[in-house]
Amino acid sequence: MMSAKMVASLNRLRVIAIREFLSYLRTPGFWLSLMIGPIAATFGGMAPTMMHQAAPAPVLTVVDLSGTRATPTIAAALRGPKPLAILVAPPEAVAQASSPAAAGRALRPYLSGDPPAGGPRLDAAAILSGTPQATVVDFWSRDINDPDLQQAVRGAVTQAMQQARLSAAGLDPQVVAQFSAAAPAVHSYSPRAAGGQVSMKDRLPSLLGLGLAFVLFFAIFTGAGILLNSVIEEKSSRILEVLLSSATVPELLGGKILGVAGVSAFIIVGWGAMGLLALQHSAPGMVAEVGTALMTHGLVIWFAFFFLLGYLMYASVFAAIGAFCETVREAQTLLGPIMILISLPIMFLTVALEHPDAPLIVALSLIPPFTPFLMTARLASGPPLWQVLGALILMAATTTAVVWLCARAFRAGALSTGKLDLKRVAAGLVGRAG
Amino acid sequence: MVPALELEGVNKRYGDFHAVRDLSFKVEPGSIFGFLGPNGVGKTSTLRMVLGLIPPTAGRIAVLGSSQVRASLDRIGFLPEERGLYRLMTPLDAVVFFAGLKGVSAAVARKRGREMLEAQGLGEAISRPMKALSKGMAQKVQLICALAHEPELVILDEPFSGLDPVNQLGLEGLIRDLARRGATVIFSTHVMAHAERLCERIVLMAQGRKVFDGTMAQARAAAPTRLVLEGALDPSSLASLPGLASVERQDGQIEGAGLYTLTLTPGASAQAVLKAALQRDLDISQFRLETPTLHDAFIVLTKAHGRDDER
Repeated sequence: MMSAKMVASLNRLRVIAIREFLSYLRTPGFWLSLMIGPIAATFGGMAPTMMHQAAPAPVLTVVDLSGTRATPTIAAALRGPKPLAILVAPPEAVAQASSPAAAGRALRPYLSGDPPAGGPRLDAAAILSGTPQATVVDFWSRDINDPDLQQAVRGAVTQAMQQARLSAAGLDPQVVAQFSAAAPAVHSYSPRAAGGQVSMKDRLPSLLGLGLAFVLFFAIFTGAGILLNSVIEEKSSRILEVLLSSATVPELLGGKILGVAGVSAFIIVGWGAMGLLALQHSAPGMVAEVGTALMTHGLVIWFAFFFLLGYLMYASVFAAIGAFCETVREAQTLLGPIMILISLPIMFLTVALEHPDAPLIVALSLIPPFTPFLMTARLASGPPLWQVLGALILMAATTTAVVWLCARAFRAGALSTGKLDLKRVAAGLVGRAG
Repeated sequence: MVPALELEGVNKRYGDFHAVRDLSFKVEPGSIFGFLGPNGVGKTSTLRMVLGLIPPTAGRIAVLGSSQVRASLDRIGFLPEERGLYRLMTPLDAVVFFAGLKGVSAAVARKRGREMLEAQGLGEAISRPMKALSKGMAQKVQLICALAHEPELVILDEPFSGLDPVNQLGLEGLIRDLARRGATVIFSTHVMAHAERLCERIVLMAQGRKVFDGTMAQARAAAPTRLVLEGALDPSSLASLPGLASVERQDGQIEGAGLYTLTLTPGASAQAVLKAALQRDLDISQFRLETPTLHDAFIVLTKAHGRDDER
């Protein structure tokens, strides 16, 4: 049985949480972000493919001064449903060049985007010099950041060089061609794969882990941001003092965090439902696989714990910062270090997916501010239980300490007036303010 | 009877700054109590300690018979000095929210809020967002938010600031109604006229210390009584009258008929002074007794405290 005091306390927490939750649900911006999120994610995911499909294939020419006769090999390498490039004969002025430097000089006008009259507009050019067995490739390109075409040319020339060397060694060209075509059938196995052999089904939990880490990042980033703005509004309009005369700091802080967590959860569940509907529509077979993947190594259960602790820790910090600030500009001076701290694990997320057991990733996943993100990303790889439990215990202890400190700072900040002062924030943290 | 509020040797320090020093007083239940003093003398700090928002550095505070202040919050209504409400909330939703924090169900709070808002002439604004309301209207809404849970103890920090004279009178009426209903009202102000019209007892603060604690009559008695005489009077004759602390000509002239203010010494009788003046055949055409106001008492008491501190 709960005491009357406890019931009253829970009631206050409920009232604060509901107000916080409803105040955001009533804003058009909330519904807009709920709808825009999946659209932006879909567009973001499809954008590279769409751009690749829509972009015209670059125009490439090969100037062979080496006698390698690699042009047909290059042409074969460029073929495909969507060709890597369109191969054209070099302009006459270029074809007549006797050295790579002369060919380069002759090529420049054609690569400038404004070719000489009657000449082709080139996007890239490969000047092959040296000998068929020791070929040098000078690769010219208008797009210096696109390595795909250069790699394709390099591969084709390598193949041509190998054939030339083997032919020079006296091998029949047909035998050489057969040797060149030989490639192994590679099957990927891992003890972490359910059936031994690695399939998409086995990679799915890791990908979901990475996705959940990003979801956590989004939830903390937006939820804590909402909380920060909400506290700043209450502070600047002097509502905090009235609230504190009606509720305790834990009730107020807890209610606000709970309300904003509800907003974040609403968005995440909304997006999840939209994703599920889209999956059911486009690939119904995947739905069950995603469900199974979420349960791999207790992924979704551990995620729930790390999500809760991470959210609580960062939300408390943001709320405490908000209590000292009357404007967002004031808050930004304190937020800088926090934002860097939150962004750090994001940089390691893809590394955590590819190398979940790398010593640096393991160490970082045990450091509380990074744990929620990196451990979530590692979970699907089945890390040792002691690491997961240890990270959870460390995270719980740190969150408790941070929430306790932030509650003190929140009280001091809520009752403070005047300009933001770092000394006052520090005094609030050690409980010497007020 | 258990006092509604009792402070005993309360001190509050902020680092080196001693905001409240050895403050002790009691507030009887059902009374209207004035907590007076100029700005920056520790009134807001004291009220924040009473509400448990900040802890006292030393001393004891009992609210509604309990030293567990936070446990009594549902029985207290509080209007802070600096006011504000959620800009997008309607007045009715604001009342329901704040009453909800005090344990009042949403249905009861909605009904009560509607009645109170209408009684204060805010019926038409009931569903408008707060940002669309005038400052005076918003202040009324906030006051209703502080009262909708029918508190036993109402603490109002500078409730009259920012209100026009008509709304100030309205608020005075509301405070009297609260006391009639049995609630204890404590309000802080630096405007003595409100306290004079409303309070039964006051505490006067200066530089963090209590300089007076008593009834209105006792406070007024601390200030000297003045007798105003008009006529062709000689200042030296007036100065020789018994029981006078000072004689001052009001119109600034030195000779001829004029208006004189005679400040009496503490305990001196104005009647005795007037009788002595008439016995000496002084040419008095008019006389008037000026009883001291709370404002006079306030100035005397705070000045006296300043002199004590200088010594």
